This record gives sequence, structure tokens and C-alpha cells, in this order.
Amino acid sequence: MRMHPAKQILLNVAVFVFVVMLAFPVVLLVFNSLKTDIEIFTSPMGVPLAPTLGNFRDVLFNTTFFTNLRNTVIVAFSTIVLSACVSAPASYALSRYRFKGKTAFSIWLLATQAFPGIIMVLGLFTVLSVYGLVNTLFGLTIMHTTFSMPFSVWLLKGYFDKIPYALEEAAQIDGCTRVRSLVKIVLPLAVPGLLAVGTFSLLLSWNEFFFALVIMRDNAHYTLPVYLARFIGSGGVVQWGPLSAAALLVSLPVLILFMLGQRYLVSGLTGGAVK
Amino acid sequence: MRSRGGSATTVRRLDQERQALPFLVPALVVLCAVSLYPLVQGISRVFYAYRALAQENVFVGWENFVLLFQDTTFFRGFSNSLVWTVTGVAGMFFLSYILATMLNSQYLRGRRFYRTVTLIPWALPGTVVSLIWRYIFLPNGPLNTFLRGIGIANPPNWLTNPQIALWTCIIANIWMGIPFVTIMLLAGLQALDRQVLEAAAIDGAGYFRAQFHVVLPSMKKVILIILTLESIWTFNMFDIVFVLTKGGPGSASVTLPLYAYQNAFMYYQAGYGAAIGLIILSVLLLVIAFYIREVLE
Repeated sequence: MRMHPAKQILLNVAVFVFVVMLAFPVVLLVFNSLKTDIEIFTSPMGVPLAPTLGNFRDVLFNTTFFTNLRNTVIVAFSTIVLSACVSAPASYALSRYRFKGKTAFSIWLLATQAFPGIIMVLGLFTVLSVYGLVNTLFGLTIMHTTFSMPFSVWLLKGYFDKIPYALEEAAQIDGCTRVRSLVKIVLPLAVPGLLAVGTFSLLLSWNEFFFALVIMRDNAHYTLPVYLARFIGSGGVVQWGPLSAAALLVSLPVLILFMLGQRYLVSGLTGGAVK
Repeated sequence: MRSRGGSATTVRRLDQERQALPFLVPALVVLCAVSLYPLVQGISRVFYAYRALAQENVFVGWENFVLLFQDTTFFRGFSNSLVWTVTGVAGMFFLSYILATMLNSQYLRGRRFYRTVTLIPWALPGTVVSLIWRYIFLPNGPLNTFLRGIGIANPPNWLTNPQIALWTCIIANIWMGIPFVTIMLLAGLQALDRQVLEAAAIDGAGYFRAQFHVVLPSMKKVILIILTLESIWTFNMFDIVFVLTKGGPGSASVTLPLYAYQNAFMYYQAGYGAAIGLIILSVLLLVIAFYIREVLE
């Protein structure tokens, strides 16, 4: 079936317009970050005529950006490591063993995704207070891990299922324990899966706003999304130039890493659903 | 036909369970400590209320729910949340379906480039998305400048008009959700058997008939997973309404997660906030049941 040339052109134009409209808000953000507040006011949509890096200088040197960036990096990378360490063995058990309560465990894991933030935060608050973890980066890491683990277990199980058990059996005959065979045989073969869950945890933790807003008490502990929200709310007229520069700086690291990892995340997400 | 004796199977099963346990311990500890316990603890809060006189939370039985069912803001939030979720997810799905079918066409040049650009909003923090749209919707911002340019003299005030504020938030949320839905649908479309589509076309099925009778039914599973997951995420979404309108003007755009937050952390009524949370949970349990059934199948 050939498509009529006129229809082909129409298709290409339609996709171009659609994607430009989808990208336009981000383009606006980039434009604004390079304009002075006066130029933003006089030409809300135009290309910056006298591009300046002043907004970026303001954000980097006159705000607490680096403190909040450090917090975000610590929490995000701890969440990635912690949820991988907890998820990988659980995924292995789900993939390789039959045990009582396996279905119940799976249902609980999947249901966790529907738990409302407000209930979890009130409950976790009590747990964190007991251990003195309110207003700490470790406390926030634990919260993020709760939400990234269920998805991670499920994703990794999909990858482990595809690795033939025969590979492990051969090693076990040579005296390899199950733990060693997970670490030495299964995990190296499941690297794309680990990259998928890493990308997922990164996205979740870096961008998460609600818990970070609620359990942190002072600016020294805020993560970047909270820093941004406070930037918007900080009294009087909003300074769109510095705000846009800040938003761009907050987004760029996660955007770059996401673009590197999205291939794995997408194939992990669709692997189970599409079959 | 069982080749092994019953007792041998039992031994093997017990053996399996003993071996599986160590692998499950970390996840079980995490699930119990930071999921099961907080859930129970959080839900138990619905029976408590802060009393200024006693200066502590006291047991009040069902009082929070009695108050909830007399609270017009709660009902406003409930209906807003339904509108927000249903129209938001429907909008995402509709636009993403169009985009995904076009991106799947072999006659499109630069598919990889378009696919990559489409992904961008997915990676952005909700707070960033919200502030971009807050700028676009300013009274003299880009959107209204554009509308005046094409001859609309009095474009609405998107963020402070009570008739419109919620829809403004919905548009921002749809934009943010399009990448995930598009990419999932695209993967579903790519897994379809092209021969089936071609057979339908040869049999004279037009574009829309082919979509409704061939494409949609064969993607039932992926579509159900997209719709359930996206409904849960959208219903629980907090960032966008918080940054764009704070639920205002008045309570025109308040959603349940935002109202629960306001009660628990601004008015210090944790019990009342938890009661709203329990209502959210009961709505979402229905949705998650569908999701779990699809995934475990």
C-alpha cells in the first residue's frame, strides 16, 4: 500500500506542527532565561535580541542553588543505589523461586503505587520522627525508595525472566552459591534492566516535590524542586528571567541523564505491557 | 501426570521457600517499615483531631468524616478531582494516540528526532512544568499576546478566572503526560503485525474502521495499563495545581491531594487531611485493581 504523495506531505507537516507545539513551552523557557526582565515584559514570545547570561550569574552566585543541588544529587543517587540493592534480590526471588504468598507479595508491591501521598507522608512522618530522620536527606531517600522500589522490582523481574536458568545451573554445579550466581551471572546480563530502574529512580527522586516539601524544615535541606517553588513564591513581583534560568539549571542534569537512559527505561516499561 | 511423589514435591517447595527468603528480606523490611506500617499509621489518623484546648491530637471517632460530608470545599475538590483526572487522561490519550500513529508511519522523515523531542516534557520536574505554564498563561503573557494578535480583544485571565482555572491546570498536566502515553502507544503499535493492518486495508476497511476494529482491540492490554497508571498518577498529582493556582481563586481549582495537604500542613488538621486521603485511596483502589489484574495476567 503506497501512501498518496500529497498525504505524505500532509503527514510530515502535521507531525512537525504537533512536535513544535509540544516543544514550544521549553523553547520559551530557554528564551526567557537569556532575556532581561524588561525584555520578557515587552516581548513575551520573541527571540532574545540581546542575549545575556546575567540571569544565570544571579542564580548561581546570589541564591542557594549549589546547596540545593548538592542535596538533590545526594538524595537522587542514594535512592538509585538503595532501591537497586533492595529490588534486585526481590526480583530474583520472584523470577526464580516459587513460594507461599508470592501473589500476595506481587499485589502489595503493585498496589503501593496507588497509595495517596498524604496518607503515606503522615504515616512516614511518625516513623521518621521516631528515628530522628525528619528534616534529613536520608529520611527523604527512604521516602523516595518506597516509591521507586515497587516499579523497580517489577521491571527487573521482567529482565531476569529472560535470562535462561541453565546458565546459573552450570555455575551451581561448579559450586557457585545462589547469591554469587545472582551477582556474577544474572546482574551482568541484566545491565539494561539496571539502567532502566536507575533512570526511573533518578527521574522520580530528582523531580519529586511533595515529600521534599513536607519533611524538610529549612533551606539547608531543601531539594531543587522546593527551591524553585519557593523562588516563585518569594513575595511581590515574580522575576521571570532569573526564575527561568533557575528552572533550566534544575532541569538540565536530569534531562541529559534521562535522554541517555530513556532507551532502557522505555523498553523496560513496554516489555511487559506490549507482548 | 505427576512424575514425582507428593512428598518429594513438598520437600522441594519448602526448600524453595527457604532459599527464596533471604532474597526477599530486604524488600520485606522496606515494605513493612515504610509502606505497610505508614499506611496503617496514616489511616489510623482519621480517627484523631487536634484540639487546641488539650494541645494534642485526641480520639474523635468518625467526627472527621461527619465534618467532611458537610464540607462544601471537600465536595468541590472531589468533583474537581474527577474532572481533572477524567478529562486530563482522556485528553492525553486522544492527543498521544494521534501523535503515536503519525510517528509510527513509515512515510515520516526524521522519526528518531521527533521521538526524542516528544520525550522532553517527561523528564522535567513538575515544578518546572508548572512555572512554564504559569508564564504562558499570564494576563499579558505569550498566550494572550498571541490571542490578541489574531483579533481576540479580551482574552480571559486564565489563572484567576474561577470558570477557567481548573482547565488551565488540566492543559499543563496533559502536556506533561503526553510523552509517556505516546511512547507506550508507539511501542504497542510497533509490536502490531503489519500484515493484519494491510489485510484490513485490502479488505476495504477505511482508516477509522481499521483503527477501531483492528488496532485498538489488539492493543487492549497496553491501553488498559496506560489508562489505569495515568489515572492513578493524575489523581494523585499535587505539583501542578500547587504551583499554578494553589487551588484558587477561592476553591475553584482545588483538588483532593491539595486540599488534604492544606488541612494537614497549613491548618494543622492532620486527621482531617488523612480522612481526605482515605477517600482518595478508596477511589484509587478500584483503579489499581484493574491495573493489577492486567499486569499479573
